[in-house]
Amino acid sequence: MEATAKIKRRPARGLRKRLRDAFAIGQLRVGVAFLILLILVAVFAPLIATHDPFALDNDMLLPPSAEHWLGTDGLGRDVFSMVVHGARTSLVVGVVAAVIAGIIGTLVGGIAGFYRGGLDRFLTETNNIFLMIPTFFLVLLIVAFFGSSMVNVILVLGLTGWVGNALLMRSQAVSLRERTFVKSAFAVGESRARILMKHIIPNGIYPIIANTTMNISAAILMESSLSFLGLGDPNIVSWGQIISHGRSYLTSGWWISASAGLAIVVTVFTFYLIGDGLNRLFNPKLQSTR
Amino acid sequence: MFSSAGANPKRVAAVRGVSLTVDEQESVGIVGESGSGKSTLALAILRMLPGRTAQVEGEIRFDGIDLLALPEERMAAEIRWKRLSAVFQKSMNSLSPVHKIGAQMADIYRIHEPTVSKADVKRRMIELLEMVNLPARVYNQYPHELSGGMMQRVSIAMSLMHHPRLLIMDEATTALDVITQGQILDEIMELERTLRTTRIMITHDMSVVAYACKKVAVMYAGCLVEFGDVRTVLADPQHPYTQGLLATIPSLTGEKKLVRGIPGSIPDLSEPIRGCVFAPRCAHARDICRTQAPPAVDLSAGRTAACHFAGAGGGEPGGDHDR
Amino acid sequence: MGRYIRRRLATAVLTVFLSIILNFLLIRLAPGDPISYITGQDFPSPQLRAELTAKYGFDRSLIVQFGVYLRSLLAGDLGKSIAGNRPVTDIIAERIGPTLLLALTSAIAALLVGTSLGIYSARRPGSKFDTAMNGVSYVFDSMPPFWLGMMLSLIFASWFKLLPTSGMVDLRAGYTGFAHVLDVLRHLILPAATVVLVTFPYFFRVARTSVIQAMSDDYVVTFRAAGMKESRIFYKYVFRNAMLPTITAFGLTLAYVVAGVAVVEIVFAWPGTGSLMLNAIMQRDYPLLMGLYLVISISVAITMIVLDLVYALADPRIRYQ
Repeated sequence: MEATAKIKRRPARGLRKRLRDAFAIGQLRVGVAFLILLILVAVFAPLIATHDPFALDNDMLLPPSAEHWLGTDGLGRDVFSMVVHGARTSLVVGVVAAVIAGIIGTLVGGIAGFYRGGLDRFLTETNNIFLMIPTFFLVLLIVAFFGSSMVNVILVLGLTGWVGNALLMRSQAVSLRERTFVKSAFAVGESRARILMKHIIPNGIYPIIANTTMNISAAILMESSLSFLGLGDPNIVSWGQIISHGRSYLTSGWWISASAGLAIVVTVFTFYLIGDGLNRLFNPKLQSTR
Repeated sequence: MFSSAGANPKRVAAVRGVSLTVDEQESVGIVGESGSGKSTLALAILRMLPGRTAQVEGEIRFDGIDLLALPEERMAAEIRWKRLSAVFQKSMNSLSPVHKIGAQMADIYRIHEPTVSKADVKRRMIELLEMVNLPARVYNQYPHELSGGMMQRVSIAMSLMHHPRLLIMDEATTALDVITQGQILDEIMELERTLRTTRIMITHDMSVVAYACKKVAVMYAGCLVEFGDVRTVLADPQHPYTQGLLATIPSLTGEKKLVRGIPGSIPDLSEPIRGCVFAPRCAHARDICRTQAPPAVDLSAGRTAACHFAGAGGGEPGGDHDR
Repeated sequence: MGRYIRRRLATAVLTVFLSIILNFLLIRLAPGDPISYITGQDFPSPQLRAELTAKYGFDRSLIVQFGVYLRSLLAGDLGKSIAGNRPVTDIIAERIGPTLLLALTSAIAALLVGTSLGIYSARRPGSKFDTAMNGVSYVFDSMPPFWLGMMLSLIFASWFKLLPTSGMVDLRAGYTGFAHVLDVLRHLILPAATVVLVTFPYFFRVARTSVIQAMSDDYVVTFRAAGMKESRIFYKYVFRNAMLPTITAFGLTLAYVVAGVAVVEIVFAWPGTGSLMLNAIMQRDYPLLMGLYLVISISVAITMIVLDLVYALADPRIRYQ
């Protein structure tokens, strides 16, 4: 005799209502608007940039003008074009690194919280260790030894940033295990792996999403520090690199470093805004009176 | 009336036209489900509702004084905690977890008795602890070192510090297991006698009221629907809501009946109510119930019920409908 | 409390041990020849190669090599810096003072500034100040420390000529005694301000959230009902409860402060271990880099343990377990 049953998922509230809730939050409106702008700039960089960012010229250290919107640097390169192209680097590195950290963290945390036991203890201890390690220097060290290509940078950032996500997912998994819909899935005989993938992770992922946007910010800042120190990929344009170059001309060509730096601030701030908005969306109870 | 801040400010009438009399040494139990307004009533009596969002109308007479007309300084100096006191529900956090219990009790005591010497205050606080059957060592302990029942006793001891005339206990035993609850209720009733305190107990648990109170007031959606002597009301409930409530209590003895709930839920309190507030859920509702709010019908001395058909017989819990 | 401290100590020991292992493995795992990492030469002479192989045991098994490595660590030998041609330990010892000065003053200042603002904000949630401060904190959080340092230097040192652009002392003036102290302080302002501005947002948010949380705790209701004055409720009770997360936060930010201080040192040519690290990177002075990493890891671990101890003493729930 066969007995099959359909496990009732948690009813998904209407997508339109959710979007409406989301956009009621100011931070999300502003944040997403900026994000779209950033993505457009990054995607259409070659079209938006007025010059070739790598082209050297004789017009060095020109202040912002009609021809060069953000001036030129010490080697005659157009700063505006460099900043625009730098958006690509930052977004790619930031997003990919954070997503890697998110995936690893979700899996490890989900398994640890769901299966408990040894892996759980390992995870908690690993987290404690990572909190004690100055990750920045670890990243520096590894990039110094293993090379500074963009892929390396992304990998290192992703592999050092997963612990926070893992912890979040773990506590979600621990509480979701006890929910009725999960228990009924057990009772019906769904395999544990399937339960983890189908029920636990999709329902527990929300704080990870908010945390991942914060991680994007952290990754962008980290990457800019690396390229500032000369440990970034030398073949691509990066904001940290521009600032580093601009440092030699700080008094004579302040617009070089200032523009690139402001670009970083705006980008990172955008992701913080979105992350904050997402947190408010997912945890309305944790808000103060606002 | 409450108004909530934010995008759509709403006015919620949490308590509507409640009229209650508590006589000395006649403990009253206020029963109702969540959202019935009973806790709001308690906070209103203590004048502890948030000033900006709450609006209280009416009159609260305590020993001849109208509490609502009293200026705040006098309320704080003469009434609150001295003659009128309270115990709230979540006992584990009712004191700061990082300070010692005794020090906090002493701090509270000194608000009204600033001139007593330190040694005397300590002595009195230890007496207070012994009064609720707690060992003296609790004075030097931290809240996390005590069990839930012990902390609740500490809360009770603190509320009785100045021998108040009236004590309001808001869901004070709800978080405790049944055995501890019974013990504490016994101790409370004993203290009530020795200290000549009167008690108002707010709870959703009818059995607590049945055990420990003399009078009962049943609240629903902010209205007082029935009031009277506990035994009489329990034996012969006159309001359909009370009848429904009693029917939900499974009986340990006698015929095994199906446990019944009361279908439906509390109406939206931000909307004005036409007619009887219970009408949408009432099995006996007639046309008049939906158009006219029932008055508090005086059934006998000290017994009222807010139903158009109160006193017309039919104390049958559950009504005519099956299942 | 004993159990708590013992656990934290175990984590610290484990962390340091892992850092040591990492250091050990890094030059052996990295692409290329370990000896060239140590000497800085791509083609070391056979004599040098033989010498180093004997010293580090490159021809022996990994376990033996690790033993050799550990023994040299315990003896205080962190290798020899390629660029400076001196023992790494000597170089680090020289530069650690200025870093400690900058790091400690900045961290404490950031804690004080951020926490005070957080408390002030939390007592008026939703007010204009609160909203503004929230925004401001995120803006500073978004700034790369090295960039902020450069901008501050540009504005205050170059444009307004109020403060020195770099260094820790005015080398030409050669001050001594009290004048020297003042000179150092003058040079300290901009770098410290940079680190503080980038670090205070975290303390701000922690303090704010924790105070708002504590204000809605049940004992506040009890005290209010009993008639306690709001100020007393806040300063005696809420404050102590709300400050516990700040202690934890201080420990958590340590690793970040150290990182921030390093890049700021570079921008202001502050003669500390941070700028030392930059030079080591640029010159690929691997022994120095690794030695620095180890020293920093150990320092952070020790400081965190100390903070855990402080926390355990402050929270009676941990103290009397």
